[in-house]
Amino acid sequence: MNDPTPSNGVSRRAFFQLFLGWLAGLFAFGASAVAAVRFLVPNVLFEPSEQFKADKPEDYLDGSVTFLEDERVFLIRNGNTFRCLSAVCTHLGCTVNRAEHGYHCPCHGSVFDDQGAVKGGPAPRALTWFLVTLSKDGRLLIDKGQPTAPDRYFVL
Amino acid sequence: MNASPLKQLWQKFQRTRIGRSIFRVGLPDSNLERSQVMVSSFLLHMQPAKVNKHSLRASYSFGLGLITLYLFFILIGTGVLLMFYYVPSTERAYDSMKDLEFVVSAGQLIRNMHRWAAHLMVLFVVLHLCRVFYTAAYKPPREFNWVLGVALMLLTLGLSFTGYLLPWDQLAYWAITVGTNISGYAPVVGPKLKYLMLGGNVVGQPALIRFYALHVMVLPAVTILMVAIHLWRVRKDGGLSRPDEPGNVVAQVELSHLPTNKTYGLMELARGTTPQVGANPEDEVFSWPHLVFREMLLFMFVVAVLLVLAIGWNAPLEQFANPIHPPNPAKAPWYFLGLQELVAHSAFWGGVGVPTLLVVTLVLLPYVDRQRRGTGRWFARERVLANTIFSICLFVAIVLTIIGSLFRGPNWSWQEPWKKPPAATESH
Amino acid sequence: MANESVRKFYPWFTVLGLVVGSLVVGGYYKDQFREWKDFQRKFVREEVRRAITPQQRTLAESTPVQVRQILLPELNRVDRCTTCHLAVDDPTYGGYPQPLAYHPLHEQHPSEKFGCTICHRGQGRATTTAAAHGNVPHWDEPMLPLMYIQASCGKCHQAADNPAAPELAHGQQIFEDSGCRGCHKLGGTGGIIGPDLDKVGARRSSEWLKKHFLSPAAVTPGSGMPPQKFSEPDLEAITLFMLSQTGEMVPGYYASMKVIASPDEGQRLFQQKGCIGCHSLGGKGGTVGPALDDVGMRRAPDWIVAHFKDPQMVTPGTVMPKFGFTEAEARSLTDFLMHMREQKVALSLPSLMGPVERGREVFRKYGCAGCHGPDAQGGVPNPNAKTAQQVPGLKYVADSYTKDEIFKRILNGQHEIVSLDASKPAPPLYMPGWRGTIKDPELDDLVAYLFSLKPKDAENLGF
Repeated sequence: MNDPTPSNGVSRRAFFQLFLGWLAGLFAFGASAVAAVRFLVPNVLFEPSEQFKADKPEDYLDGSVTFLEDERVFLIRNGNTFRCLSAVCTHLGCTVNRAEHGYHCPCHGSVFDDQGAVKGGPAPRALTWFLVTLSKDGRLLIDKGQPTAPDRYFVL
Repeated sequence: MNASPLKQLWQKFQRTRIGRSIFRVGLPDSNLERSQVMVSSFLLHMQPAKVNKHSLRASYSFGLGLITLYLFFILIGTGVLLMFYYVPSTERAYDSMKDLEFVVSAGQLIRNMHRWAAHLMVLFVVLHLCRVFYTAAYKPPREFNWVLGVALMLLTLGLSFTGYLLPWDQLAYWAITVGTNISGYAPVVGPKLKYLMLGGNVVGQPALIRFYALHVMVLPAVTILMVAIHLWRVRKDGGLSRPDEPGNVVAQVELSHLPTNKTYGLMELARGTTPQVGANPEDEVFSWPHLVFREMLLFMFVVAVLLVLAIGWNAPLEQFANPIHPPNPAKAPWYFLGLQELVAHSAFWGGVGVPTLLVVTLVLLPYVDRQRRGTGRWFARERVLANTIFSICLFVAIVLTIIGSLFRGPNWSWQEPWKKPPAATESH
Repeated sequence: MANESVRKFYPWFTVLGLVVGSLVVGGYYKDQFREWKDFQRKFVREEVRRAITPQQRTLAESTPVQVRQILLPELNRVDRCTTCHLAVDDPTYGGYPQPLAYHPLHEQHPSEKFGCTICHRGQGRATTTAAAHGNVPHWDEPMLPLMYIQASCGKCHQAADNPAAPELAHGQQIFEDSGCRGCHKLGGTGGIIGPDLDKVGARRSSEWLKKHFLSPAAVTPGSGMPPQKFSEPDLEAITLFMLSQTGEMVPGYYASMKVIASPDEGQRLFQQKGCIGCHSLGGKGGTVGPALDDVGMRRAPDWIVAHFKDPQMVTPGTVMPKFGFTEAEARSLTDFLMHMREQKVALSLPSLMGPVERGREVFRKYGCAGCHGPDAQGGVPNPNAKTAQQVPGLKYVADSYTKDEIFKRILNGQHEIVSLDASKPAPPLYMPGWRGTIKDPELDDLVAYLFSLKPKDAENLGF
């Protein structure tokens, strides 16, 4: 045998075998752990989609503020520009109502101006503006996952 | 002695082949048997054969660890029963809770026991932690057991939190919304952690089923494992801490370095610490019956208290969870209210900073504390500084929790509980 | 040392470690290579190729590769077809090969509201081509062949009114004309000799249905259904109509879209709601409300629609009740009334028809033609029946029966049909009893119609 086994340890071959075996085994364990964690991260969500399509731009009158109940947003048209404002009060999540100028929350009395900024009441932050673009089939596409600045318009 | 006919019959059975195959050792009748029973019996083998008299003193440990353990057992028992009726679906969870309340025999009783045992377990885990701290029982060789204990406390909080969501009522839904929002404040990993916990962006069906899986399987399995190791360490570290322990480890000496010109007793050659080292026979009594009997009594006492609570007070079930109508104020479960109060002042410190600091401090404590003296006694003089700091932190935590639960009303505004209007502050 | 004996296992340890390691990695990577990812990458490459401005290019390049699904909680469906069919909503992809083609009806039926499987069937939750298209074991709803797609229109819309589903309307007309209802119940009305057809579209494939029409006994042994002689286009149409009968309940939002506004639907509603009770048309009807002959000239369509929706608001003080019409129903009724202005159509309202005409409608409604032949001429085979191995025609009932006898026969039926050859199996078709099904006024009209069938110039043959 061309592999002298020392009396107080392992031979080169044995060491290599053990090393490789452990390496592969630990790697397998690690990869399984990675797979298990990846397993737990959802690939699809069963919530209402953050993106939704409204009607075609021409369906909204100039100067209109349209409340879309299911999505809880206001769609605002001025001339050829479109914006979308969240109707969810930043205090505790009630739906705000359109007032003559601005918005009022019926739950705890928060008051917002036309730009969504807080004018009174317990709300801590301004209302969120959402990104408006055009969908492939010519309808307004709103993405509630993309907050945007109040002065960011979608221009037709 | 002359045994009753029933006992004679039983002894006769034990001597049959079948009897001997099941019961390797009968009920202990002699000291020899009392020593053996701890090793021969599956259910009892966690106990030591003999236990120090000091450890049996109620005024020392108050049995707090045992009470916590018993509450855990009761939670498992009642929890398994509840699993036969509870359905973890957003459509059916609430209805299954109503069924338990109205049409299941002892349904209300068992649910109440489960709820009150859960709250008590959180309370007693903290009390047990306080006891161990004040008696300096975390010092060597028990440092790692303390760390295990901290882990067990976190697991207890996790079990309570995951279970809190399951009824799917307004109380559950909003407490978890607040709780997961707080976790989302962690830097870098916060939002991802929240996404993983909820299985999405909102508290919905994926969140419910994840919390259910954690609550009935993952966390209990991990907890049972850690409890086993925790109790194992109690045994191996020499039982409960006492004032007259022989101090630290017997010096470990390599066999080849021992002088060979004398005879050695067995114990001199034993390596490491064992419960027998320094054990004084006069201070020891047999676990059977002294320890075991006290344990049983304590268990009965815990059950009695739980029954009183379960019969007298119903666990809450508010309206069906409504994501559009948050209550005002929306409060986390009571053990997180102190944190929620802090969050109201600073999201980072309340949600991330303070909890992390607390946990890190607790874990590092036994390794940072260099004072070797003071173990085994309540409020030892040598530990005035440590005890004071701990008591202040405890006091602050209690005060914050009381503020959060009693002194905060709608919009988290200050209110005096004695002035609060009797009607519920629900927003519609 | 003990290690000596264990050392012989070291090579096993290495091999097993490597095997397990590569299996874990291999298994995980196999899971990562999905068919749909290839399709999506192809789409992204196409989008990039079509991009003109650098902005569009970056937008195209950053399209995420992920499963796309449409959640339809009301329909209890989840459709993942758009994971591969990525351009269903983009008109600029018209004419592209699948899966990247634009969907022609997308305007009226946006995919985010309807999904795909509600019309196309198939397995919405699948993400591989074969499984999604549904021709796999243990999936009962494979995709409808495209030539039968109009069958799905019937799930929500009335067959007759839908200009986009002429095949379906044709199929329904054949069904009514052939008198299938005489033996089969559909939508609650019909005979009991054959099985109910309410769910036949969900249970049977197009091939089965066609074979069955041409030769029922070959497909279902022992069947008494006579072989149908349909032309090829008619056969496809009636098969399509059968495929539309799935018995699926369409909820809420989708049901409210059921009615496509049309004058025919308006006329149907007009009859159904009994408007003639208060209003008159052509001089006949009630006098509580005004005559409706030229309402189209006096009122604008919008006014009429609003009036249907809420009479009180439009004419305060009116006694006309609020019927709760949907948008489509109100528009249909308005179309009907405007239609009259334009064409002065002769109304075939039952209240204005004579008994014989009404009786003909009853004959048609209950499918008597299925056994007694179109216009009751006979000719439908009934093997081994003494009556010339056919179901008898009804032309001469006026001679053979008194009115009372006819009434009794229709109400009680005739279950025992005399056999031609007693040694052969009994005739499969029999006359069912219609008591409880045909209502008394309908019965009077039906008998009037039957009695009118005798040819005017025939002699009294005195049977």
